[in-house]
Amino acid sequence: MEENVKQAFNQGNLRANAAYEMGRRRFTIDPITRLEGHAKVDIYLDNQGDVERAYMQVPELRGFEVFSLGRPAEDMPQITSRICGVCPTAHHMAASKCLDDLYQVEPTSPGRKIRELVYNAFMLEDHALHVFVLGGPDFIVGPEAPPAERNIVGVIGKVGLDAGKKVLSARRRVRELIAYFGGKVVHPVLGLPGGVSKPLDPADLPRFKELANDAVEFAEWTVAILKQIVLGNPDYVKMITSDAFTHKTCYMGMVDEQNRVNFYDGKLRVVDCNGKEVCKFDPRQYRDYVAEHVEPWSYMKFTFLKQRGWMDFVEGPETSIYAVAPLARLNAADGMPTPKAQAAYEEFFKVLGGKPVHHTLANHLARAIEMICAAERMQELVNDPEITSPDVRRVPTAVPKEGIGVVEAPRGTLFHHYQTDERGCITMANMIVATQNNAARIAMSVERAAKGLIKNGHVTEGLLNKVEMAFRAYDPCIGCATHSLPGHLPLSVHIYRPDRSLLRELKQG
Amino acid sequence: MPLLVLGLGNDILTDDAVGLHAARHLARHFDGSHEVHVLETMEMGLALLDFMAGYRNVILVDAIQTGTAPPGTVHEIDPDTVPRLAGRTPHFLGVGETLALGRLLGLPMPERVRIFAVEVADPFTLGTQMTEPLQRALPAVIAAVTAAALEMRSASPPSPRAELAAP
Repeated sequence: MEENVKQAFNQGNLRANAAYEMGRRRFTIDPITRLEGHAKVDIYLDNQGDVERAYMQVPELRGFEVFSLGRPAEDMPQITSRICGVCPTAHHMAASKCLDDLYQVEPTSPGRKIRELVYNAFMLEDHALHVFVLGGPDFIVGPEAPPAERNIVGVIGKVGLDAGKKVLSARRRVRELIAYFGGKVVHPVLGLPGGVSKPLDPADLPRFKELANDAVEFAEWTVAILKQIVLGNPDYVKMITSDAFTHKTCYMGMVDEQNRVNFYDGKLRVVDCNGKEVCKFDPRQYRDYVAEHVEPWSYMKFTFLKQRGWMDFVEGPETSIYAVAPLARLNAADGMPTPKAQAAYEEFFKVLGGKPVHHTLANHLARAIEMICAAERMQELVNDPEITSPDVRRVPTAVPKEGIGVVEAPRGTLFHHYQTDERGCITMANMIVATQNNAARIAMSVERAAKGLIKNGHVTEGLLNKVEMAFRAYDPCIGCATHSLPGHLPLSVHIYRPDRSLLRELKQG
Repeated sequence: MPLLVLGLGNDILTDDAVGLHAARHLARHFDGSHEVHVLETMEMGLALLDFMAGYRNVILVDAIQTGTAPPGTVHEIDPDTVPRLAGRTPHFLGVGETLALGRLLGLPMPERVRIFAVEVADPFTLGTQMTEPLQRALPAVIAAVTAAALEMRSASPPSPRAELAAP
């Protein structure tokens, strides 16, 4: 778009929004649906009544940097883990690694292994929660099922009461492990620069070994269920592989020395839509590889591959847009680090037509395969003789200045970056969260859904459901905004005429 | 069987902490009480199952943003009317579903749940101090929840008569 056209567009957009804001106050709307913190999709029609652009916005967490300024860097693992009740351990680990880098101290080997054990336990638990409670019910119960049944209760109706008990029991035991090392699951106090705060008592090892063995079995059972229910149903396979849910973008994920998936540490690797390596870099160099693009219509910053430059929301071998999260990690790696996960990985690409897989909804199965990987890695770690060593921390002595810490969070690559004064007090704090890495692709998915469902000004019924499925597949992390009652994120869709006046509003929630 | 008062919220998200502040006050008020247990959590969804299981009566105190009432307004929400969240949410299992799930799995779930939701002005900015309207409203929030706790405490044994005296 030309600069002057863009300006006019934005002015019109602002006026339309202002008009809408004014008008809204005159309506009496059910308090439950009329939340400020809602996902908002704006759809702009052209003169033919077809979709010109569609945008999605979610509530934004504000004030992170200001809040952090002047605080001791050692507080960051606690502060950042409190930002969000959904992925506290991911923030805690990224922040702990950031402190290692800030104080230029390498954790001791047992300290690192305990961190990895806790982190893999967290990945397993969070993924299980998503598969059975949050996103998975769409598939396990069925995308056409009434919304009231697409939840864990519906899942139990489908796979049985014992399965429900199994899920809750596995979750509880994994959380016990996290709490053993970190205290509260939501406020873990575990990572310190150079290691962790608590060793594993050899007397407690047997129960964690048993847990790890059960975890592997649980993860394999999960994959088997998804394969049976999802891949065994031709309608589901058709939907997963349909154009509506397919985008050819680049993929980013963390890999070890052999380019295998690693959640805790390694290099970041990016492949293009043909699976060819675009770049592989030390996370400390992220600023040379990842840049943020600002669109006038959104406060969300869209990350893209810096060396390719921003090229708008386009697909194909040249695109600078990349995705993160389970499917992206599997695509960006050459394999899995553990045998059972590797077997599931090979089958995944075979069934879905080769690598890379571009179907967003395949994230659900990829997530379950990662559960196997996390459980097997737990098994390896609890059987490592070093895991009960008391040597869990190396005390740092260097003067702090700047640190960068990156992990693979359940929802994708998570960057923490701090600068401090010589006393270790924060002078700059930046985070790139997983959902930001996925934001551009989410925007494309929402637009694709809108384009398919609005023609000549006619809005097909079911638009809300399809738009919602398009973004939920990414499991966008908006937990920090969804805490307040009723705890979910209502969706509203606004459709604007070419003159930017509001044509229609649709709401769900 | 004791009553559980559970404060929900995030203590570094400005007004989102209101449920936690109320719970902290009630915890002091009911300190040592065998009839009223007061807890707070930053967790949500499925985690509420762990907290609520085993109690016959539960009061939840949380933040809400409806945009239809001035900040500080205390809404009382019937858990049955909290929409069945179904597949709508990426991260959350509603109170209604949590109760249904617990019952389905044969866990001892509460018979009665009352939800007090305080209208907030800003639950999105990182900060440890609530906005001024919420600070002003806090005593009224505490009074409303305390009154409900006293009423439900006395209602939980067979005696139906409400007792309003302080413990």
